[in-house]
Amino acid sequence: MNFPMAGAPGPEIVTQEKLLLDAAERIARIRDGRLAVHVHLSALRPTNRQEGHIRIALRMLEPMVNAYRGQMFLLGNSDIVFMVKDPNPTDVENMIFKLRALFSKDPLTYADSGDGRDNFCTWYDLGLEYEAFLAVSQKAASEAQRRQKAKAIVTKEINNLDAKSLGTVLERIATIDIAKLIRRQAAIAITHQGNAEVLFQEFFIAMSELQKALAPDINLLGNRWLFQHLSQTLDFRMLGALQSLKLTQRPPTYSLNLNISAVATKSFTDFEKSLPPDSRVSVELQVLDVLADSRGYYAARESLREKGHLVAIDGLNELTLRLMDLRQFDADLHKISWSPEMREAEHGDAVAAALMPVAPERLLLARCDSEAAITWGMNQGISRFQGRHVDAMLAAYTMHGCDKAAACTLAQCISRHGVVTGPLRNDCGNNQMLDSSPVMRVARPKQRQETL
Amino acid sequence: MAFSPSDRAATERQKMIAQRLPSGENLLLEYIHKLERHRRGRRAVLIRLSILQAVNRREHHVRIAAATFETLVKQLKGQVFALSNADIIFIFKEAALEEVEAGIVKLRFLFSDDPALASDDREGSTFTDWFLLERDYDSLLHFAQRMLNEERQRRTQEFAQGLVEQQMPRQQKRGEPLTPMMLAKMEEALVRADLANMMRRQAVCAMVGKAPPQPVFHELFISIADLRETLLPNVNLASSPWLFQQLTETLDRRVLSLLNKHDDRTVAGDVSINLNVQTLLSHEFLTFDDNIKASMRGTIVLELQKVDIFADLGAFLFARDFAHDRGYRICIDGVNLESAPFVDRERLGIDLVKLVWDPAMATGKLPNGSPLLDYVHRCGPSRAILCRCDAQDAVDCGQATGITLFQGRHVEALLTAEIQRQKGSFRRRR
Repeated sequence: MNFPMAGAPGPEIVTQEKLLLDAAERIARIRDGRLAVHVHLSALRPTNRQEGHIRIALRMLEPMVNAYRGQMFLLGNSDIVFMVKDPNPTDVENMIFKLRALFSKDPLTYADSGDGRDNFCTWYDLGLEYEAFLAVSQKAASEAQRRQKAKAIVTKEINNLDAKSLGTVLERIATIDIAKLIRRQAAIAITHQGNAEVLFQEFFIAMSELQKALAPDINLLGNRWLFQHLSQTLDFRMLGALQSLKLTQRPPTYSLNLNISAVATKSFTDFEKSLPPDSRVSVELQVLDVLADSRGYYAARESLREKGHLVAIDGLNELTLRLMDLRQFDADLHKISWSPEMREAEHGDAVAAALMPVAPERLLLARCDSEAAITWGMNQGISRFQGRHVDAMLAAYTMHGCDKAAACTLAQCISRHGVVTGPLRNDCGNNQMLDSSPVMRVARPKQRQETL
Repeated sequence: MAFSPSDRAATERQKMIAQRLPSGENLLLEYIHKLERHRRGRRAVLIRLSILQAVNRREHHVRIAAATFETLVKQLKGQVFALSNADIIFIFKEAALEEVEAGIVKLRFLFSDDPALASDDREGSTFTDWFLLERDYDSLLHFAQRMLNEERQRRTQEFAQGLVEQQMPRQQKRGEPLTPMMLAKMEEALVRADLANMMRRQAVCAMVGKAPPQPVFHELFISIADLRETLLPNVNLASSPWLFQQLTETLDRRVLSLLNKHDDRTVAGDVSINLNVQTLLSHEFLTFDDNIKASMRGTIVLELQKVDIFADLGAFLFARDFAHDRGYRICIDGVNLESAPFVDRERLGIDLVKLVWDPAMATGKLPNGSPLLDYVHRCGPSRAILCRCDAQDAVDCGQATGITLFQGRHVEALLTAEIQRQKGSFRRRR
């Protein structure tokens, strides 16, 4: 069986959905003993339904579908529909079980639908439920047709970064003003007295803006290795741009996303020299980079600490925590990315247990986009937070004390906090307030229970 | 690489040739000394494979060239020596002269597209040099002595160079750094390049105590040195680790399609191949999987690089579960002393861990201060492989920490020596 990949432009208008509908109509009179299964892979998270994943799913099902003289269809939205004749139900169930296990890290396979339905797949006993299946096929076919038409209008294609385009991108980087693409986001630390103070300001390059400025037709993140290579150049450009930044007030701690290799360069020492004597740097490193160059990591950690700086590990999540021992990083700060699943006991408890061996002042919950995130973190004894919800808290607090606040909305204040130069910043009537590090009153984090 | 029965026969033959090949300058000199009183009626021919282009003087070319004289060796009419610069010397009885000449003609034909031979005529040839022992014994003796000295010097230099390179930071090594544009060219060239020539195999052996190494499986890989020499001779691939990583991804796919292309070569078991996580989910891999008998999969090890695994743990888990479901075993490759603390075999659900030998292992400690012995113990017996063992101290140190599986040039050498020893004892029994 040769399947076109989901979303691939077909030479003709005959879609898999159309073929599915044809097949469904053809079996109208011979439907007894037939079974159809609709696997809702379209509901997987995008990272879990890439081309390779879907290809493997098809591969798993293929032998069984063939064995029962069936047919299989890969729909344009990545759903799979297959029909089989007189199957041994256990065979089909086993195969679906295996498939489900393969995607077991995706909420689709474990999240509760609330009404007892299976989110992962729907079974149709065609002897009894033919009409329902036919309706599903019809709907799929008409949606596919609509998509085809829509696609004909939008023709502009975005290509993934490749070696050749990387070469061009690197040339162009030298010509653009990086400062305009730099964003910042503060993190807060809640003290035992219930004060929320700014812990650091993180400076980073906004990737979507960079892409717009450099190569709108190239997905810079489309190739991991080439992007890593690109990021080494971005490090130098950012370190350079930060030196000439005009802020009314410097943050006590700059947090920077860097490659390990950047720490031992002249660009970094030049940046250090440009800082006021009481400022320090927290260097955020990726797990991938630590694994690629562990020797470099130990050396960088030592040299940064000697100079009074900090080392942070960025991008930790439920998976890294489950598969790695956090203590081995021995970093000054471990940034855990919040995800809503952590509210569910099964996932949250696993994360909490993995965090237990690390002192709470070395943990930070990042990507807190809701009150729920902060609440969860506080319940785990975490006192350091970063994310959109924190941005909103800080902006609201700023507006509360700002004499120019009457002219602005909260959203405006948030976005102006996020930039370091350019028109957005100029729109603000009080740059002093934008750069300040206010101290807010908040609830105190829960004391950790050591017996979790 | 794939080995069908016919192929396997070819490999067996090559092995036999390798065994019959008393290799090295040492043996040559020894033999010439022995011939001191038996010069009469003996001749020698030096075949200078070293003047050929690098692509034409790889290990298998030397083997093929040496095999030309195989029959004569069997008939006890001569003895063949392969020198470390790829040159071959055949010393033979005069009666075999015509057959030897025929053999040389065959070799010239074999390498006729090489520039060194294109302009070389038989008179005043640089490709071959003939010796009449009765007349030229001394010059042959001097030649052999010189070759031995040169070989020793080269070995010392290589050793010193190895030490220097170990101490030098990556960027300072020779050659220009790899750029994205060069990578693009290289990827393009890979589509056409004949990778079959660059395929190597190296045994992973069980080594317990003083017992001889027992091969457990063979790793199939592309010789990066050969690849570099062929495609971008002056480029230092290690200068840009991420670009190099991208190159390996392209290579993986090419290797898989190479394995897939040869329909007659089903991959026989007990091999390992290097793959990226993304490659494991690719068409090429599924085709590879199709071509393999289900019963074979259990004996195939898929080696994944540590960076690739940690770059996207979600994708890794998916690929791991799929590969395990199909029956393959998974090995994490490239774990060194420094990164070992981050690699927990059991948590990652991986079958084997490949540790890169490092003289610092002699301290018996990981960078976090915990004993290496504990780490190996946690990995589990026969689940840790110590690779790049270039000398006996690597094996000694590994064994002291409980490792039982070893790979590397030293292991290969021990294996060859063992095969020769077995052959020797077999002969004696006869």
